Amino acid sequence: MTPFINVRKITIIKKTKTPRPNPSAVGTENGAAPAVPIMNQTENPKIRLENINYYYGKGTPFEVKALDAVSLDIHGGKLTGIIGHTGSGKSTLVQLLNGLARAGEGRVLLDGVDIWADPKEIGRVRYRVGLVMQYPEYQLFEETVYADIAYGPRNMGLPEEEIQARVHEAAAFAGVDAALMEKSPFDLSGGQKRRVAIAGIMAMRPEVLVLDEPAAGLDPQGRHTIFQGIRDYNRKTGCTVLIVSHSMEDMAQYCDDVVVMAHSRVLMAGDRDHIFARADELETVGLDIPQITKLCLLLREGGMPMPAGLYTVEAAEDSLMKLFSEAKKNRRGGERS
Amino acid sequence: MKGFAFGQYYPANSVLHRMDPRAKVICAVAYIVASFLCKNTFSFVLLFVSAFALILISRIPLKVVLRSVRALIFIMAFTAVLNIFWIVDTAEGAVPLVEFWIIKIYTKGLYHAAFILVRILAMVIGTGLFLTYTTTPIALTDALESLLRPLAKIKVPVHAFAMMMTIALRFIPTIMEETEKIMSAQKARGADFTTGSLAKRAKALIPIIIPLFASAFRRADELATAMECRCYHGGEGRTKLRILRYHARDFLGMLWIILFIAAIVTLNILGARFGWLYTM
Repeated sequence: MTPFINVRKITIIKKTKTPRPNPSAVGTENGAAPAVPIMNQTENPKIRLENINYYYGKGTPFEVKALDAVSLDIHGGKLTGIIGHTGSGKSTLVQLLNGLARAGEGRVLLDGVDIWADPKEIGRVRYRVGLVMQYPEYQLFEETVYADIAYGPRNMGLPEEEIQARVHEAAAFAGVDAALMEKSPFDLSGGQKRRVAIAGIMAMRPEVLVLDEPAAGLDPQGRHTIFQGIRDYNRKTGCTVLIVSHSMEDMAQYCDDVVVMAHSRVLMAGDRDHIFARADELETVGLDIPQITKLCLLLREGGMPMPAGLYTVEAAEDSLMKLFSEAKKNRRGGERS
Repeated sequence: MKGFAFGQYYPANSVLHRMDPRAKVICAVAYIVASFLCKNTFSFVLLFVSAFALILISRIPLKVVLRSVRALIFIMAFTAVLNIFWIVDTAEGAVPLVEFWIIKIYTKGLYHAAFILVRILAMVIGTGLFLTYTTTPIALTDALESLLRPLAKIKVPVHAFAMMMTIALRFIPTIMEETEKIMSAQKARGADFTTGSLAKRAKALIPIIIPLFASAFRRADELATAMECRCYHGGEGRTKLRILRYHARDFLGMLWIILFIAAIVTLNILGARFGWLYTM
């Protein structure tokens, strides 16, 4: 009888270092493409980054290149996750999208138009691309939750009834209880504050919603509520959503597309299935892959014919059960003969 | 806001960096006194040269030092201009250099303006080099606490003051960073700090100030808890990890300052006796 899994073989597997994959491997070159091939390229992208270089402290001895030749498309209407280690450039990237930072080299195109075409109109871009910064609960300041969510729409100069409608809609998406509306935001719990802050951006009804680590520091239940709310928002409004995170686990569960950042570059970008099919490459650059993907990789290396790129427990269970029943059938067949 | 550099420690390997912070505080005070003792062209030239000698000794790039001077350019220009127009040479036979309407400019006025400039420059560079540039804020408060200890006898809470200063210094960069973050966050919500009337702009600051205060109080609260968890109960019976000790270089430094003051006084006296150039 052959053992189902060769356990001993699994435990002695050594991690083999493969050379850093060429980032241009995923992007496809187009006729009038800029110098660097655009990753995750599509027709009519919502946002296109063209050959972005971004430096901190340029011209000083402390110069750091935060983004290195980044060219990337963000597909409209999708939920895109940006993953990378601390210092991989992901927070810098999102600040470029709504013009809080401006790259020295390269362009940011929103619906095909350079957002810096008219620097005086950058305020308008900020209404179109809503950014929820890290730990957004620290930006709350109004006397009531309602007033705080209404701050953005009010700055847009909307009429009062429109503001009211938007505030209630955004609160519902972000999971802010209607009973909290007249409370002071300073009296809420951490998770509630976070949801109020997210609602404050959603109420501006941006075409693109960018969230920098929206679930940082929350417990698993809180993480789930936030991500579920963001996903609902994306599905129901059709708004393009970007989430920055370092948690592969969450990204695998909620995102359509995944962009992987490493060493100030876009390492790979594409839909979720494509990215997790290359889970072994992710591991070589030191990124955490979902635990279930890791298990499947180990099983493959141990000689089990598992499909590559599994990232949900359900899918892994399915293929394991299939293998199990096949093995059972084979064994029975073997005994009979 | 990133360029905020006034009084920032600049690590380098020099005698000034290694000196005992108490000796440096004493030297800094003596240096200020010396700059006020200067009376004529020669002593001011000596003061000017000494400021640049200090920069050389400290091994801190000239550019870095001049950055802190830049912050005071307005005050320096203001006092210089004031002196040029205000000083009236009452000596016999003194002719105004320029005479126009009610404005009279004398050569003496120009000299005075130059003197004042050198004095301010030397004070800023001198104190900066002895204290902020070569001494970490922690070492500085340690030194102040140690120098002011005699005051504890008359019930001045020296330790509490030193601790408050340490904490304040420690949190300046943190709060600056926080301000920048909150500004970005509110800008993302359409806040506009640069256009509109003064009243409108002042009102636009509310969304920054309130979160900033809220987070300052939260930090203070957390810090107090953290300190109590580590059994902090004030200065009573508290020992130090790094005990300050004077070395030969510290005495040499103070000796240098004494000689410097003596040289300036000598130049002043000689200048007064032989009527050298302009005096203040």
